[in-house]
Amino acid sequence: MMDYVDLVFLIMGISALTSVLFTFLTIRTKDLMYAVVFSSVQSVAYALIYFLLLAPDIVLVYVAVAVGIYPLIIILLVKKVGRYEVMS
Amino acid sequence: MDIELIKFMFMLTVISLYFNVAISLYGVVSKINLVKKLIALTIFQDTVNMFTILVGYKLWRPGLLLQPPVLTDLSPTPETLKEFVERSVDPLPQAFVLTAIVIGLAVTLFLTTIVLHVSYHFKTVNVDKIGRAKRVYIHEEAV
Amino acid sequence: MLRDFIFASLLVIIILALTYLTYSGGLGDLPPQDVRVIASNYLNLTYNQGITWLWTASPEAVTAIVWDYRGLDTLFETVVFYGAILAALTLFRSVSKIPEFVGGVGLSLVVKRVTAIVTLAILTVAASTALHGHLTPGGGFQGGAIASVAPLLLLVVFGKQFFIERRISYSKLLTIRNASLALLGFTSVALLILGFLTGAQGYIFQNQAKTISTLSYPPYLLDVPLGGSLFFYNLFEFLAVASGFTLVFTILLSRDETLRKELEGEELGY
Repeated sequence: MMDYVDLVFLIMGISALTSVLFTFLTIRTKDLMYAVVFSSVQSVAYALIYFLLLAPDIVLVYVAVAVGIYPLIIILLVKKVGRYEVMS
Repeated sequence: MDIELIKFMFMLTVISLYFNVAISLYGVVSKINLVKKLIALTIFQDTVNMFTILVGYKLWRPGLLLQPPVLTDLSPTPETLKEFVERSVDPLPQAFVLTAIVIGLAVTLFLTTIVLHVSYHFKTVNVDKIGRAKRVYIHEEAV
Repeated sequence: MLRDFIFASLLVIIILALTYLTYSGGLGDLPPQDVRVIASNYLNLTYNQGITWLWTASPEAVTAIVWDYRGLDTLFETVVFYGAILAALTLFRSVSKIPEFVGGVGLSLVVKRVTAIVTLAILTVAASTALHGHLTPGGGFQGGAIASVAPLLLLVVFGKQFFIERRISYSKLLTIRNASLALLGFTSVALLILGFLTGAQGYIFQNQAKTISTLSYPPYLLDVPLGGSLFFYNLFEFLAVASGFTLVFTILLSRDETLRKELEGEELGY
């Protein structure tokens, strides 16, 4: 029978695997808006792992910075610079 | 409480963080768009911070429930304090990671303004084209 | 192309080697068996009413380590953050002097009403997180990062006309930021100056009374632990971080022509 402790570690493992998948998608896509969205989903998976590792101060900082401020700055940059990644 | 399953899941987390480091490092070095390099750099910084907090964790034992390093009793007796010290995880890596996240954010903000300046000056954010243009530039200044 | 391929295969070899090393127990026990000795010392001393010459009067261990036991690290982190914001604002220094006359009206009425309600909620949550930093997880920097979302929403939904009408100008935000950082520095040397004036002995970054010096910040407020100087550090850091981020967003969200004016005379060499 699955215990409470086993469930915590199972969720931790699944979040880590999800974050690998989304990191790979971020680096591979050619549309920079999609890269920003995939990077935010990976940050949410990381915030879940931080919470399960019992670090509540870090969760507050990380959610505000990596899901709030980084995508904002990079979307600003993408709008002013160009949306698609072109090979020369 | 299945010790084998717990250790296997923890090992799986550590190994997937190794993969994250490799993929984001490849993204910083080998992609030719400056904005993609910036996104990969933020992923790299976040993964390294995660490694630091993994160091401060503790092994579960049957009958010992872990606790974040916050005391909830406002007038503790010595027995409560001893139980808090036995149960809590390490607070030192969390203090270091707080500082590291702030410094990473400051560096990213500064890099954003630099990328804006570069794109206005060279009219592109393709690193190969900027390299070729600068070669022509330096040759023209020397002649 | 060949360079990328060699780099990728090199990374794969390193990852496989590290995986084998971790799996066969070469990096020690995962997760570790016990916390280290210095951590159990810090956890024992941070709210121990029996040892009042080494405590910090706050039941939250992480805030006590950041602002009291390792206060000098946080001092240098604040300096790095200040320097980076300063550098980002200097690169666009002529944008702050140009008054922008925009005629924008913002988004529709529904969005404006909803944003007005949500902004009040964001500011309340941010103030609560920052001011309770010594009792619950939170603190100055967390509250500041949350509170910087509110002016950003107002900028996007109501337009820049909103800020210009209410005279929230660039120099006012800069004044708030410099004043709160100066007060942060003053809090750290306040007991030293008091010691000079009254002849007792004080230290830099001192929080509570030690065995050789009797000056201290108040540890209790009525009957709730106040944490001494930790409360004031959290408050000033909250104001400094929120106003710093608002400054950077105000500059970066300007129009393209205004930002390009920064590079105006560069074909002629200046």
